[in-house]
Amino acid sequence: MSFADIHVSYLLSQLLVGLINGAFYAMLSLGLAIIFGLLNIINMVHGAQYMMGAFIAYLLLTLLGIGYWPALVLVPLIVAGLAMALERFVLKRISHLDHLYGLLLTLGLTLLIEGAFRQGFGSTGHPYQIPALLRGALRFGTVVLPVYRAWIIVASIGVCAATWYVIERTRLGSYLRAAKENAPMVQAFGVNVPRMINLTYGFGAGLAALTGVFAAPIYQVSPQMGSDLIIVVFAVVVIGGLGSISGAIMSGFALGLIEGLTKIFYPEASNTIIFLIMMLVLLVRPAGIFGSIATIAVGHSINVATQRSRELDRAAFLKIAIPIFVVACAAPFFVFPVFLMETLCFALFACAFNLLVGYAGLLSFGHAAFFGGGAYITAYAIQALGLPPEIGILLGVAAASLVGLVFGWVSIRRQGIYFAMTTLALAQMIYFIALQAPFTGGEDGIQHVARGKLFGIIDLNNTMALYFVVLTICGAGFLLFYRIIHSPFGQILKAIRENEPRTVSLGFNVNRYKLLAFVLSAALAGLAGSTKLIVFQIATLTDVHWSMSGQVVLMTLLGGLGTITGPLVGAFLVVALENYLAPFGSWVSIIQGAVFVVCVLSFRRGIVGEIGAAFKSLGTRDRRKNKIVPQRQRPADTNLR
Amino acid sequence: MPNRIDVGEKLLKVRDLHGWYGESHVLHGMNLDVGKGEVVTLLGRNGAGKSTTLKAIMGMLAKRSGSVRLRDSETISMRSDNIAHLGVAYCPEDRGIFASLSAAENLMLPPTLRKGGMSIDDIYSLFPNLRERHNAPGTKLSGGEQQMLAIARILRTGSDFLLLDEPTEGLAPVIVQQIEEALKRLRATGYTIILVEQNYRFASMIADLHYIVENGRVVDRVENHSLDGKLDVLKKYLSV
Amino acid sequence: MTDAILEARGLFRKFGDFTAVGGVDLSVVRGSVHALIGPNGAGKTTLFNLLTKFLPATAGTIHFNGRDITAAGPAEVSSMGIGRSFQISSVFPHLTARENVRVALQRSLLSSFKFWRSERELKTLHATADNLLESVGLNDFINTHALEMPYGRKRALEIATTLALDPELLLLDEPMAGLGSEDIDRISELIANVAKTRTVLMVEHNIEVVANLSHRITVLTRGRVLAEGTYTEVTNNSQVIEAYMGVQHA
Repeated sequence: MSFADIHVSYLLSQLLVGLINGAFYAMLSLGLAIIFGLLNIINMVHGAQYMMGAFIAYLLLTLLGIGYWPALVLVPLIVAGLAMALERFVLKRISHLDHLYGLLLTLGLTLLIEGAFRQGFGSTGHPYQIPALLRGALRFGTVVLPVYRAWIIVASIGVCAATWYVIERTRLGSYLRAAKENAPMVQAFGVNVPRMINLTYGFGAGLAALTGVFAAPIYQVSPQMGSDLIIVVFAVVVIGGLGSISGAIMSGFALGLIEGLTKIFYPEASNTIIFLIMMLVLLVRPAGIFGSIATIAVGHSINVATQRSRELDRAAFLKIAIPIFVVACAAPFFVFPVFLMETLCFALFACAFNLLVGYAGLLSFGHAAFFGGGAYITAYAIQALGLPPEIGILLGVAAASLVGLVFGWVSIRRQGIYFAMTTLALAQMIYFIALQAPFTGGEDGIQHVARGKLFGIIDLNNTMALYFVVLTICGAGFLLFYRIIHSPFGQILKAIRENEPRTVSLGFNVNRYKLLAFVLSAALAGLAGSTKLIVFQIATLTDVHWSMSGQVVLMTLLGGLGTITGPLVGAFLVVALENYLAPFGSWVSIIQGAVFVVCVLSFRRGIVGEIGAAFKSLGTRDRRKNKIVPQRQRPADTNLR
Repeated sequence: MPNRIDVGEKLLKVRDLHGWYGESHVLHGMNLDVGKGEVVTLLGRNGAGKSTTLKAIMGMLAKRSGSVRLRDSETISMRSDNIAHLGVAYCPEDRGIFASLSAAENLMLPPTLRKGGMSIDDIYSLFPNLRERHNAPGTKLSGGEQQMLAIARILRTGSDFLLLDEPTEGLAPVIVQQIEEALKRLRATGYTIILVEQNYRFASMIADLHYIVENGRVVDRVENHSLDGKLDVLKKYLSV
Repeated sequence: MTDAILEARGLFRKFGDFTAVGGVDLSVVRGSVHALIGPNGAGKTTLFNLLTKFLPATAGTIHFNGRDITAAGPAEVSSMGIGRSFQISSVFPHLTARENVRVALQRSLLSSFKFWRSERELKTLHATADNLLESVGLNDFINTHALEMPYGRKRALEIATTLALDPELLLLDEPMAGLGSEDIDRISELIANVAKTRTVLMVEHNIEVVANLSHRITVLTRGRVLAEGTYTEVTNNSQVIEAYMGVQHA
């Protein structure tokens, strides 16, 4: 399509759309950058705060008759107030932890808030009228510019410029910039830094809410309006430089325009272009275009609270594994076998994830790519290529491993939050490929995949036979996981997780070990996805969506990071929750979100971890009762005055 | 002219101060007194716990126990910003100059906590070099300029009790001279100062009293006029 | 010409405008104990990180056993025979002392990537690990988790782990930091023993220890070498005295 073929008006209108998107990206990234810069929190709930802004404006209008103009002031204040309460009573409690916990907590809050709004208002969109003053359009020859769009552009530039000015040119801003660098020093000068942090978080959230009010007349006000937007905004922030104010503003507008341009010339890539750019930036300039090396010091491997939990030695493991196996064999006669099979597949998925996060210390946010990828490849192999199920599964695992090798190679160079963002971006690309590729069936997915006969003998349409096959596959997966972590390789992974610089100084090429762990994790996740495909006979976009990646994090966190049986427990609970609460609609999200929050706040060791710790402390209590501790002599006071 | 030292009025009383960095027990029961208007030094080798003591007094050491009475308030569990409001200011060993701020912004950053803080003109007369460099970003200042800036900015706040951690470390003799002059002038105006130093000769030019710190404890207390007599003791503790 | 196991020439390290290390020449004789001392801010830690390759040099060269290691990374030089310790004792907290040392010994095995083999294969390393622990006085702590050990013992464990690599050259970063006098004696003796068959370069503040253990001392100040020689030579050097104690003002 040559440039001359495109109507100038079409070009300009697409650029306008891009600029509007850019305005929203800029405002949302600005809020995120401010919050991250000072609080070191990845404010995942920013999307929900944006949504709340739009919703509260809608409610103010429909319930109280309060219009757009007062809403511009009231709504940010309301949301800021709520956010400040959140910071003071919840976020502050985990501020001393690895900041990836902040990400998990705010992710949980997003689920909770969006679920609550969905439950209360349904998932359909609600319209919000453009205020009278801003209706109509301006005409420039053949180009039509709606007044409201013009207002958005002007207002957002104004807000961004004003914020930039306050931060870079005023005394208040100098406090923020200084505290970002060295908060204890600023506090030692007598500045109430905790209160400043609280107000800053409120401001960031208020900014998101304001963006929501701006968005209400353009987009339908719905509970999920923030959730897919937030992932793109994170990519924008990473490109601009985590914590850089000007970076956020400029990359927001620029990327909106680039996205608009891509839609004109190469529409298939418009969904993924921002993620592609993020990948490039992370490879070439890891601190982001405007970021500084200081901010990159933020990355480090997640230090999981689980290490206190007991490692099961072989005897103890068998004592647990054999009864579980016996129960598993008997269970399908009492409980709905498909539910059990779903649990087994997700338990394997969680187990794969646990290998990476609990034993190698790497929190990936893109595991859905392997799970769903395995499912899609197996589905294609069976349905389109007519291959038998065992070959289909093998191909699924092979594909997942290959993708894992590539993703791993790209992501492992970074640590901590940068690693997580990279995996998320890569998984989003897989999502968009699945959405658009010819063989994946787009929004419908690949359906009615035949189960066939395993090795030509076992008829997988027989539910009982299928159950035992799935049990065998997942059981083999668990055993492999157990062997991996109790192998010489597993010992080095443990060392890396415990003290990476020390391991490096002992001569180990830690990146290679991490990469192998990543590939193994991807392979097991692919196996889980392929097996799930055989059971449910369908591969859909849900399997590769980032919420699936979030689900597996939830299962593992709930069960216990870094424990062996944790993933099984977590998967069981989450699958049970989903199935038995399904008739109650969005309550699933609400409860899942609440569980996330509670786990991060008080049960970081997860169920199995907490039980293990309780047993251990019981043991020490008994020992201390019997031991006689001699009284230590107090040294004489050495006051020389 | 009023008495420089008010005998008997203790500004700071530290008793049995213990401090930890994580699980590393660094302060093993520090005891010291500082009178109003006194200049006191903590002498000792690296790792003795001198800097940690200053941080503990300022409330910047997370795990600490014992008693720190500052102007009759017990500050052992106070937050550092509240301690600052009692009229104490701290200048750390690494100077704490903010790289993302200009020299002028650095200078203006600390809020005025009490009346009687130095005016900008007074500060520039004390440290003339800073006047020309006021627009330079924090990173571009030389070591000596950063040190002067670090001291200058806490003088603005009106706090008359200063905690200075190794103000002459790594500086050329000519700059050390300037800092010595500045501190002498502050002392004459009635400021109370705790100085952490390894350079005992510099310390002896300014201080009234020296506490010798070893392994997180005070092991000796030497009045300035007796310092030369105790040279052997000093050499032992300063390890040269 | 004495045999220099480690030779650094013209080492520079700049952080933006600030020169932490400004042209340092250092020669460590094989089989000796060489100490690096200097007042705070002298650049000892930066120089140490340059030598252990945890920090790349802005300029200059480093040769180990005649080989140019200027561009090598920390893992690489570790396999060449340079072992290092950390200023704050660096162990694997949730592993036992034996398991700590075993990790270092695993480097000699080829099986470290074999994720399908049982860790029982590693039992062959236990005898060597236990011997090393005994040589540092940790026989009572073989099955104790590192985080439960007192700080002085962790220091000994760290040295045992470094020794497990069988390094020719040991780079120790303030080995006495945070130790009580009993532990200082113990660790000093340990270093003296170790030095009989290897070379040691250590950064240290404790002058007594430096006096007792080292054959040669390099004094650093403001990123440059101020003096070098034996303990007596260095402590009688007027410039050194001035750097530590300050010039007497009129």
